[in-house]
Amino acid sequence: MRRYLRLAATAAVFSLTVTACGSSGGDDAPAADGGGLGTAQNPVAIRVLANDAFAKQWQDQLVPEFTKKYPNIKVTVDGVPYNDQLAKSMLELTGPTATYDVVLGDDPWMPQLAKTGGLVDLKTDLAKFTDASYEWDDINSAALAAGEWDGHQYGVPVRSNLLLMFYNRSLYKKAKVDEPTAETTWEQYFTDAAKLVQDTTGDGKTDSWAVGTYFTKDPLTPTIWQTVLNSDGGKLLDENLKVQFDNETGVKALQTQVDMLKYAPPGAATYQFNEPLEAFRQGKVATMFMWGSVYKGTAIDTATTTLKEDEVGVTTLPAGSAGPGAHRGIWTAGVAKKSTHQAAAWTFLQWMTSKEGEQWVGANLGTFPARDSTLNGTPPTPWLKPVYDAISAGYDAIAKGQMWRPRLPESDAVQQILALQTSRAVSGQATAQEAIHQAATDISALLKSKGYPQ
Amino acid sequence: MSAVRTPSSRARAAGPARGSGGPLRRRGLRLGEPGTAWVFLTPAIVLLAGMLLYPIIYTVWVSLSDFDLSTFQPGDWVGLKNYETVINDPGFLESLKVTGIYLVIALPVQLVLGFAIAFLLNVEWRGRGVLRALFLIPMVVAPVVAGGVWRMLLDPLWGVVNYALGLVGVGPVEWIGDPTLAMVSLIVIDSWRWTPFVVLVASAGIMALPSDVYEAAKSDGASRWQTLRHVTVPLLVPVIAAAFIVRWLGAVKMFDIALAATKGGPGQATDVVNLYIYEKGFRGLEFGSASSMATIVLVITMIITYFLFRLSRYLENRW
Repeated sequence: MRRYLRLAATAAVFSLTVTACGSSGGDDAPAADGGGLGTAQNPVAIRVLANDAFAKQWQDQLVPEFTKKYPNIKVTVDGVPYNDQLAKSMLELTGPTATYDVVLGDDPWMPQLAKTGGLVDLKTDLAKFTDASYEWDDINSAALAAGEWDGHQYGVPVRSNLLLMFYNRSLYKKAKVDEPTAETTWEQYFTDAAKLVQDTTGDGKTDSWAVGTYFTKDPLTPTIWQTVLNSDGGKLLDENLKVQFDNETGVKALQTQVDMLKYAPPGAATYQFNEPLEAFRQGKVATMFMWGSVYKGTAIDTATTTLKEDEVGVTTLPAGSAGPGAHRGIWTAGVAKKSTHQAAAWTFLQWMTSKEGEQWVGANLGTFPARDSTLNGTPPTPWLKPVYDAISAGYDAIAKGQMWRPRLPESDAVQQILALQTSRAVSGQATAQEAIHQAATDISALLKSKGYPQ
Repeated sequence: MSAVRTPSSRARAAGPARGSGGPLRRRGLRLGEPGTAWVFLTPAIVLLAGMLLYPIIYTVWVSLSDFDLSTFQPGDWVGLKNYETVINDPGFLESLKVTGIYLVIALPVQLVLGFAIAFLLNVEWRGRGVLRALFLIPMVVAPVVAGGVWRMLLDPLWGVVNYALGLVGVGPVEWIGDPTLAMVSLIVIDSWRWTPFVVLVASAGIMALPSDVYEAAKSDGASRWQTLRHVTVPLLVPVIAAAFIVRWLGAVKMFDIALAATKGGPGQATDVVNLYIYEKGFRGLEFGSASSMATIVLVITMIITYFLFRLSRYLENRW
């Protein structure tokens, strides 16, 4: 009996030694799991926490394309409604285990997500998994900055977007108004707007208006006048995070958005995302201040628009005293620190944001690139050429005027205050001056309560 | 389990069971004993405590702390600081006012309409069965869908309501864009959705009214109005009170329709308090303030509900 026990103990020690050698050596491990990228026998499954606006498109189109190159990485994309996504992402990143390997964030969310400590620094922590051909410097600095916080690169731009001006060439022609350019000023724009409210059918009734954009009470609505503010050289907060817009420039910027309503269709005060988009696609408005990502569905896809490609123009927002306007709205994606499949997760993101991935995404999903080489190179399809030109100009404007929402963990709370006061001004419950002053007071109080010197 | 037990039965229950095997069996619980009642109640109590009490306690805890976004947990104890902030928040006070306006108008409208329709449906006429079935539809439509559909119907450019008004030369009317009309629209949507519920409750109450009282009233020569005023309404007071309290509890927590139809706007014209709390918490991530608001609203609701119950009991006894 004792001999058997000795034998069993010896066997156990031997097997433990072999196991230990195997794991410490590190040479065998990558072979077993494909270097973290899975093998045919042992594939790796990763989950992506994305927005429901594009999660299905990714799952149905993007993932199969990725799987062609990395067949052993199984990707599941879950979509979450925008309103719930930030809170869910923060819960996910602070949880004891990672349900999701990749977490997406809208432009202003990165500070909040990073503050949880649940994301890895892609440049340093995952350097060992980064492909040698992945050129960080090629990614436009304004776009890359959306995923940066406190000196760390927590995210890469996976869905670049800008607020741009779309215009209907046919309606401009009918109104005998010159098409807008990057040099068109707000003064010129409003002069033209009066003429763009017109009767196109000759029945004596107005059936086409000048502008459609966000007017309702929504955190994205203030981005319109925030862009006007930035293009006039103004800022929401200064370098010390003190409120800086309670002045003439701020009032003028908000008044610009309020004045747009005079040239908008009936009911435009409730416009959010879909309504102005639909009005533009139906030829009811001549211009639209909207996210550039809608271009394909507005000018190319016949199933979603009545307009032809040559009818739709796109450029930056009218210029202020400091230059043309645009506003950054980039979805960035990061890798969860608690993910057990960081190599696979980062490989997925690298592929999406590589030169090759951007070309495919641009041609098939209509999403914009963030790489300068893609923007300046030959687009995968001809219709992307004017769009890429507008995006390049938009990135320049953004970088010059720092045209983005506040970069701090309280960003959404700030945007909520701006949304309320913008809505009060648009609906006539307050003057632009009163709304700006109230917004400044409330934001200052909020930031003070969070420990920022005001 | 019997609620009324005689001393002898209690003694029998406490005494050793005939033919019992020993002290263990003697100490065993039996149906009807208080201990047995607790055994059966325990799962329900645990479930209720977990589902109801814990979230309330957690909300109060968050309201008294500085919510730490880096851990997504309540952090340092801050006492009543969040409550001070909330009480000095004009937005919160305005949302309470908006909720008050909504409740004061919407609840009576729904009750009057509901009982009026129930009376109509109680009269024999062809097709009332179909109408009664159709009345159930709004109740089963998800509130967010209802809000979205009504938003489309009321749109000045594309909506069918303004199109119809345009045929008679009215409009276009800014149903959602005008602060006053936005509240009217919200009440219309909410009433469209919830009046059928009142109709159902009222119909059940009307059908249960005793016919002999009406026969007595008729033989006494009471007119229709007198019968309604002195017979029907007094008999229906418990039903009216119950319908009002149930609707009050439903209406006070309403925010989904407002979120879908008006987003609380324009400005704060339809920003009911629960929508304000939701946006403060889940959009602004101000969980400390949002929890304080939720606690305040809970206390106010409990106080008003208590008085409504007292009033209901008083009215029932008075009639």
